[in-house]
Amino acid sequence: MAGNLLTNVSPHLHKKDETISRAMRDVLIALAPAAIWAMVVFGFNVVLVLAVSCAAAALAEVVMRKLRRRKITLKDYSAMVTAVLFAFLLPPTTPLWVVAIGSFIAIAVFKELFGGLGKNVLNPAVTARLLLWITPMAVYTTRFVRPFYWKTTGFFTPIATSFSKGVTSFQTLAGNQTDLAVAATPLSLLKSGRWGVDVLTGPTPIGATWTNSAGRPTLGSLFLGLKSGCIGEVSVLLLLLGGLYLIWRGTIDWRIPTGIIGSFLLLNLVFWNQPLYNLFTGGLFLGAFFMATDWVTSPVTRRGKWIYAVGIGVTVFLIRMLHYRPEGVAIAIFMWNIGTLLIDRYVAQPKFGEVGVGVLNKLPILPEPVPAPAKKEA
Amino acid sequence: MSGKAVFKTFAGGIHPPYNKELAKDKAIRECPVPAKVYIPLSQHIGAPNESLVAAGDHVELGQRIGASEAFVSAPVHSSVAGTVKEIAEVTGFTGAKVKCVVITPDAEQPQFAKQPGKDLDAYSDEEIRAIAREAGLVGMGGAAFPTHVKLTPPADKPVDTVIINACECEPFLTCDHRLMLERPADLVAGLKLLMKAVGARDGIIGIEANKMDAVEVMREAAGGVEAVKVEVLDVKYPEGAEKMLIFALTGRKVPPGKLPSEVGCLVQNVGTAIALYEAAAWGKPLYERVVTVSGDGIAQPDNLLVRIGTPIQDLLDACGGTKGSLAKVVMGGPMTGWAQPDAAAPVVKGTSGVLALTADMVDVAEEHECVRCGKCVDVCPMFLQPNFIVQAVKRGEWDKAEMWGALDCFECGCCSFTCPAYIPHVTYVRKAKADIAALKKR
Repeated sequence: MAGNLLTNVSPHLHKKDETISRAMRDVLIALAPAAIWAMVVFGFNVVLVLAVSCAAAALAEVVMRKLRRRKITLKDYSAMVTAVLFAFLLPPTTPLWVVAIGSFIAIAVFKELFGGLGKNVLNPAVTARLLLWITPMAVYTTRFVRPFYWKTTGFFTPIATSFSKGVTSFQTLAGNQTDLAVAATPLSLLKSGRWGVDVLTGPTPIGATWTNSAGRPTLGSLFLGLKSGCIGEVSVLLLLLGGLYLIWRGTIDWRIPTGIIGSFLLLNLVFWNQPLYNLFTGGLFLGAFFMATDWVTSPVTRRGKWIYAVGIGVTVFLIRMLHYRPEGVAIAIFMWNIGTLLIDRYVAQPKFGEVGVGVLNKLPILPEPVPAPAKKEA
Repeated sequence: MSGKAVFKTFAGGIHPPYNKELAKDKAIRECPVPAKVYIPLSQHIGAPNESLVAAGDHVELGQRIGASEAFVSAPVHSSVAGTVKEIAEVTGFTGAKVKCVVITPDAEQPQFAKQPGKDLDAYSDEEIRAIAREAGLVGMGGAAFPTHVKLTPPADKPVDTVIINACECEPFLTCDHRLMLERPADLVAGLKLLMKAVGARDGIIGIEANKMDAVEVMREAAGGVEAVKVEVLDVKYPEGAEKMLIFALTGRKVPPGKLPSEVGCLVQNVGTAIALYEAAAWGKPLYERVVTVSGDGIAQPDNLLVRIGTPIQDLLDACGGTKGSLAKVVMGGPMTGWAQPDAAAPVVKGTSGVLALTADMVDVAEEHECVRCGKCVDVCPMFLQPNFIVQAVKRGEWDKAEMWGALDCFECGCCSFTCPAYIPHVTYVRKAKADIAALKKR
């Protein structure tokens, strides 16, 4: 008989392939089609942004883990998921140094300073993106180019947003000014009410016309991803496919995207706020399938997940309807990340066979004082 | 049959790899008599037994060797004819020292002398309880709760349904499956005795859909008895957990912290029902039981009729020994059983299986910080929140551990099975239970 048998407590079986790294790898696989499409639409810039984001995230993880004297956990791919999601939230022309700072902060501050994967209260990618928004770097992250702009500059010519004397413009990496038209995103068009004024018309490289006679992007082009916007949010179709793959793999819970998209669509229908146009623009699908479903920052109970999801849907609707900013997915997710703490603590899940329990959790009364954890005997 | 049949079941649960084919076609055979048997004096939940024999005594097969005056207790009987060598402290399957009667068997072992001509229908409920107590019957599914206590429900909670738990939802185990195939009539007779003991109207035998051959055999055997039904259940773990089984079969929910009698049900294991039949019909006490010896580390998986007190090593030897790089030897099923440091612990009344698992089967990894994926909450059949119990235990917040349901956990292990962070929830829950009980006692 072998001398060193394991004697840990039951169960002695574990579900095959159910690991953190498997789940993170699944997310990366699910994001790949959208990333490739972004490259087709916005040129080689996208590859640079993704690469810099990943490198900065990896560096942040290694540095912080070393400082905290913890094991390096790059192998679980969670830093890569954060890096890719962060890049997805940026315009394709974001200067690489801004990408690097943002990605580094996402991991170093919003993940590792909170205690690493599992302890982070906020979604690192979303929070880092919001942080950029309130810093002077915001000027580099709010200018969008129209799809297939690279037809005029060349696919491999990287361009970046530059800012000087109060004017933002686009430059090649060599420093030459390029005269690309700044495109409004479909959402900002919707917000400003300037339908059809700023939208560029004309045939796309694949031949189809992607705007209608009023100059407004058609629903079809929005759904397929022929529009200006952030790297990751362009193709609703590909994000949807990636999200369904994750649900099929059991990596994310179907309740969260269903709750977000369902409640958002319902409210837009009730208030007739261009429901489908609103649905297919901005980061709603990216947020619903890939950001809000983050394990760590979403509630654990079924009931909690519904509350969280509907909460996000309603918040996005309110921001898009009432706030001056065109987009609200990131801030809604950020708000409900914090709400998750309360949901998990207070929303009760009745036990099997339990009847007549309230909506809120009640602490049982144990003898006072509650003692310190029992010390291990030597 | 077209499409997938929908069988009765519960919410939550998991689908572990079942590996039943290793041993399910192996007919029950007798395990050789070991060189020594180590019979623990207390093999039940309840008051401990006192030894009735001393070193040097000669004992007969089936002789009572340990008993207690307390109501919640079950006597133990010698599983061999032989000489008592000593009464010693031996490490039991849980790792704790237990008082054992060590007996050296005689070279010639007698057959058990059946007392013939018992009329099962003539027994009164009182007599059946007395028989169960006298024979030392305990729940043979693993819990080892004295059967006669279960057969004495509170007067204000009449039991109308007796359920035979024939799910055998634990992977690898096939002993109940074999018992049903080989002794269906005895099981039905045992069920009738149980129904009579508690005055129940209905009897249900609940079998998982991966044992359709047993379903057929049991339906045939139960054909003549109107009150007995055979029901097919979905293949899901833990279908055989008492509360889940009652819900799946009757739709009744046992409230947290209550017993099945609260909803008029009594659940007994297949082995227990057959043991009751043996005790009532033949006067045979519970001194042997069927044990599945299986696992990917066993040379020839088998179902053995084992005398209580036989060390695990003898079972492994009877099945051709082990193979491959052994990682774990488990007493019981792989989801709730106890991992053994060696193969010395003796088989007890509650031992349903002995498993040898290789490193391929046992997937161990370092415990990661909880990533709050919620999978444990999804699979928990009791609708608890295992991740928060673990968190509360780590922080020493016992009130919160109780709020999240530590005391309602029956340690099925679904949470750990499905946890991507490899958190051993059951370890923490056991700690919570012990510490909360200590707190409440103050």
